[in-house]
Amino acid sequence: MSPVLIYLLAVMLLPFGWALYLSFTDKTVGMPANFIGFGNYADLLQDPMFWKAVKNTVIFTAVAVIFKTVFGMIMALVLNEKIIFRNVFRVLLFLPWTIPTIVSVFTWQWIYSDVGGVLNYLLLKINAIGRPLGWLAQPDLAMLSVIVVNVWRGIPFMGIAILAGLQSVSKEMYEAAMLDGAGAIKRFFYMTLPSVKEVTVIAAVMTTIWTLNDFEIIWLLTRGGPDNGTQVLSTLSYTIGFLNMSLGKAIAIAIMTMPPLILLINYVTKRSLSSKE
Amino acid sequence: MENKSAGRQVLVYATLAMMLLFALFPLYWMFNTSFKSQSEIYNLTPNFWPKEFTWAGYDKLFEKGFLTNVKNSLIVSLIVSFFSIAVSMLAAYALSKLKFRGRSLISRGILYAYLMPRSVLFIPLYMLVSAIGVSNSVWGLMLIYPTITIPYATWMLISYFKSIPDEIEEAAMIDGCSRARTLWNIILPLAAPGLAATFIFAFTLCWSEYLYALVVITKSTDKTITLGLADMIVGDVFAWGPLMGGSIIASIPVVIMYLFTSKYMVSGMTVGGVK
Repeated sequence: MSPVLIYLLAVMLLPFGWALYLSFTDKTVGMPANFIGFGNYADLLQDPMFWKAVKNTVIFTAVAVIFKTVFGMIMALVLNEKIIFRNVFRVLLFLPWTIPTIVSVFTWQWIYSDVGGVLNYLLLKINAIGRPLGWLAQPDLAMLSVIVVNVWRGIPFMGIAILAGLQSVSKEMYEAAMLDGAGAIKRFFYMTLPSVKEVTVIAAVMTTIWTLNDFEIIWLLTRGGPDNGTQVLSTLSYTIGFLNMSLGKAIAIAIMTMPPLILLINYVTKRSLSSKE
Repeated sequence: MENKSAGRQVLVYATLAMMLLFALFPLYWMFNTSFKSQSEIYNLTPNFWPKEFTWAGYDKLFEKGFLTNVKNSLIVSLIVSFFSIAVSMLAAYALSKLKFRGRSLISRGILYAYLMPRSVLFIPLYMLVSAIGVSNSVWGLMLIYPTITIPYATWMLISYFKSIPDEIEEAAMIDGCSRARTLWNIILPLAAPGLAATFIFAFTLCWSEYLYALVVITKSTDKTITLGLADMIVGDVFAWGPLMGGSIIASIPVVIMYLFTSKYMVSGMTVGGVK
């Protein structure tokens, strides 16, 4: 027991404390750190780029989480029906979550590609678009494109979590409601939804934590571009830390994302610990 | 009534079909592309099945030393997962079966560590491995990856252990089994499916990891599979054939492992306690 604690303390808590200290310095790669107080934080708060990244992070996270929750719910409802080959379909629908993120990013990048990309080809063919679009070349479209990849990967997690909740709802309750003449829509809102509310909320909050800090999808697809249209806090932190070498400032960005994260993590911790007792 | 349920069936299967299309099309496209020749890939009208199957993309992949990346990932993932399971097993046992002070605080800390995102810790961890001189090698990753896998595995195993009734253990101890023997002979066999599933999830986490590898390793002989894939892109030149081939290779092990444990997916996915 205690070796685990010592390891986790040494490799997580200590570096974290050190990082906290460095965020108050002008530390750059290969140079000694000078204490500059809240300098990094003040700089960032005055930097329009930082605020742009905050805005993008919120948009990216909110839109992606809403879509993942809605589609996850639909996936769970469909898989909860009496359908043939249900287990096969469950495994197939789950695949996007299992493969490495980087693999899904490259695959989508190829689908989006403006040279030989299949998405433009298909959309042109069904006349949904008039000319090929640069899916990753315009800021707004690029935001949509990175969200689609995040949603594609994230639906299965929500779906499987909600499905587990649905399967614990008793069949008798439904039959009773049906006998009482409750319609499908009424049954969904008054019985199904309340019974999976708990698990849906926890899964959605966990998804929010992960989405808020998504780095790989955005970094690999757009590097935060074009024109910083998809620059989020995690990519900005990486850019400032490893391309501009300002480690202190980069850490300050990460530290500033902590308060909302701690709130969310606290929420999950409390909920899942209490349901465990 | 009859009519209504037929309509419902159509709705359910139509929705299912659309979800399957969305989920599987990219995977099919990856497969399709990986077996095309370079010239066929850049056809203006894409073929939905390779005109002639070619291994050219895969050949090119291995010329670039992809096998080394696969080997590095395999070594790191296996060692870290085995080590993490061994350690987490003991920790989870203590946290789920023994009563001691600070237990709930530690449980909470573990869950915190599990949920703490990598993008917050990557710079301090990078500085840590630089400071002790294991940056730029797989050793650095072996030191860092347990910060992902141990909290995760411990949390999973706590719920598996909790599902084993205390009575079984008590009976064994009354019969004269020591704690250690009870754990080894009674609890572990019962928790074996959970251990296997947790091992696989831990393996997948390491196998797919990109951010830590990106900041820790720049030496080509120590690059992992995710870095090897990212290196296929040179500037704006995308070699889609090899890239999709590499993606297939990177996906196969984890997909196969998931197929074996799909039964435990639900419990494994939902952070244990959330049911």
